[in-house]
Amino acid sequence: MSEIQAARRADALKELAVLDTPEEQAFDDIVFIASRTCDTPIALISLLDYDRQWFKARVGLEVCQTEIAQSVCQIDVDDAEMLVIPDLTRDPRTAANPLVTGERAFRFYAGAPLVLRSGVVVGRLCVIDTKTRPEGLTPEQMTLLRALGRQVSDQLDLRRAAQVSARLLELQTALIEIGERIRASEEAVEMTSAAAAVVGRVLGVQRASFGLVDPDVEIVDVEADWTAPGVASIAGRHRFDDYGTLRADLVAGEPLVIEDVATDHRTSAHTDAMRALDIGALVNMPVRDHGRTVAIFIVNASRPRFWTPDEVLFLRSVAARLEAGVARLRAERQQSVLNDEINHRLKNMLSMVQAIASQTLRTVSQREPVESFERRLIALSAAHDVLLQKSWKDADLRTVAEAVIETVGFGERMTLDGPSVPLGARAALSFSLVVHELMTNACKYGAFCLDIGHVELTWTIEASGLIVRWRERGGPLVVAPSRKGFGSKLIRLGLTGTGGTELRYEPDGFEADLRASVEHLAQA
Amino acid sequence: MTIASHTPVPIVLVVEDEPLLRLFAAQVVEDAGYEPVEAANAAEAIAILESRPDIRIVFTDIDMPGGLDGIKLAAFIRDRWPPIKIIITSGKPLPPRTVMPAETVFFSKPYRQDRVIALLHKMAA
Repeated sequence: MSEIQAARRADALKELAVLDTPEEQAFDDIVFIASRTCDTPIALISLLDYDRQWFKARVGLEVCQTEIAQSVCQIDVDDAEMLVIPDLTRDPRTAANPLVTGERAFRFYAGAPLVLRSGVVVGRLCVIDTKTRPEGLTPEQMTLLRALGRQVSDQLDLRRAAQVSARLLELQTALIEIGERIRASEEAVEMTSAAAAVVGRVLGVQRASFGLVDPDVEIVDVEADWTAPGVASIAGRHRFDDYGTLRADLVAGEPLVIEDVATDHRTSAHTDAMRALDIGALVNMPVRDHGRTVAIFIVNASRPRFWTPDEVLFLRSVAARLEAGVARLRAERQQSVLNDEINHRLKNMLSMVQAIASQTLRTVSQREPVESFERRLIALSAAHDVLLQKSWKDADLRTVAEAVIETVGFGERMTLDGPSVPLGARAALSFSLVVHELMTNACKYGAFCLDIGHVELTWTIEASGLIVRWRERGGPLVVAPSRKGFGSKLIRLGLTGTGGTELRYEPDGFEADLRASVEHLAQA
Repeated sequence: MTIASHTPVPIVLVVEDEPLLRLFAAQVVEDAGYEPVEAANAAEAIAILESRPDIRIVFTDIDMPGGLDGIKLAAFIRDRWPPIKIIITSGKPLPPRTVMPAETVFFSKPYRQDRVIALLHKMAA
């Protein structure tokens, strides 16, 4: 049995992830059929590890493994041929084997090789008798045992393929979850903590951390740190050079993948530092920004561990999502600063306009137009405040109405009721002016003239679109004005500046209906 | 509003770095029937307050150049001259969790002149 073949076999078995797994019906069935077919008391599926043979399925034997030296299956296994030994006591390769000389008293052996699709021979399907069989197996038994051996090999390959695809699905599901958590996060540390927790859980590792690095990747400041129960955090500052020669890959943006810190040439001289943090295996995945490594996603396992290509790819995708998430936050923050600045300047400009108008119009003896000018300006300014809070995206209709009502007063004599309706920037500004004019008119001629007067402002969404209803009650008798001033023209422009306004001077009080399509409102 | 001859006219300190807006604020104070004193920043305002014990109300902007903004100025005044009433105004919304000193009222800019005047009257009463 050559060393290289043995190493290939051990790697293949590790890859199969089959050693020390529970019994499985498919394999149990095959050994049962093999023992019946060949009429032997014992049948085994023997997998050949470095230092032992382990039985995936067995009939007629109570132990699940033996030392490799006692294995008959390993004889000439690399030839990938049937092995038949009619009398084990008379074959020089087995005559001294304790399984033959001892109380188990094995006498006859026949084994078919287990050859994976990759060509690696991982063991045998064998049948054993305690009586010698000088005639061996019949040709038909030979053919059937070979065929069953191929069945075992196929099962092993299929089993692995199913495991790989289940694992892939698990990793993809985790990636989707991380993507959702990142999208929902408003802070970078929230994103990285969420990602670390999901990664730690799905990879079954002891620690998953996120740390920012300096431009030369000499130091990492670990901020978010997920640990399995009982595992210490590594939050804080670490120097890469204290743990080995790790920086070259990270600076280049390549992941650092180490299966065993004791044997890897990059870390073998620093195992004490690794052991102090309880690290046996690790992956450090760089997070890049503008072609530079700005952060590292760190995964630690306390024991040596094989990282599958799928797992490394998964970590790469997590890093990419974090990069995109952090970039999004930065863009939003810049946008928000810019919005604040624009709004501040705009409102300062409105204040200047107010100051100039007030000074310029001081000598005008008729005060009413001067005051309405100032109030319209302030209503517009209130709508700007609402829009700013939503970063100039959609403002809610109710919020805009409340902001304008606040600037006029009489809020306690108004009832507002309706669903949430998003207004685009233009619609929010024109709606604020309409509400302002309606309120001004109510103060001058309508419901607010009398103490008992009140206004209902309600809105509903119907098939035709949004309908806003203004209903004044308890005011004096109203009549349609003979002249249309600027205020009533503003009202007639309606919700989107395109009309859709109906005004009625009813005996009960003034009424207005304003209509617009919901899409139009949000776009305008 | 008429002020009896024996009552001293309340003095209002207007603090605003933008000259046009300072002029306007001073005009509002005058329209309320009070006497404005003007300062362009917090340091000037404190110097004036130290030399003029007759100031009863401070009407200040928040965003001003120099170390002290309107909120800090208000806190300083509240600490050092507790009886003085304070009106704060700003073009920016108040940052969330801002702690306003006691007996301090905030107006968003542009503000309604009549409301500021009504508040001045209430504070001076």
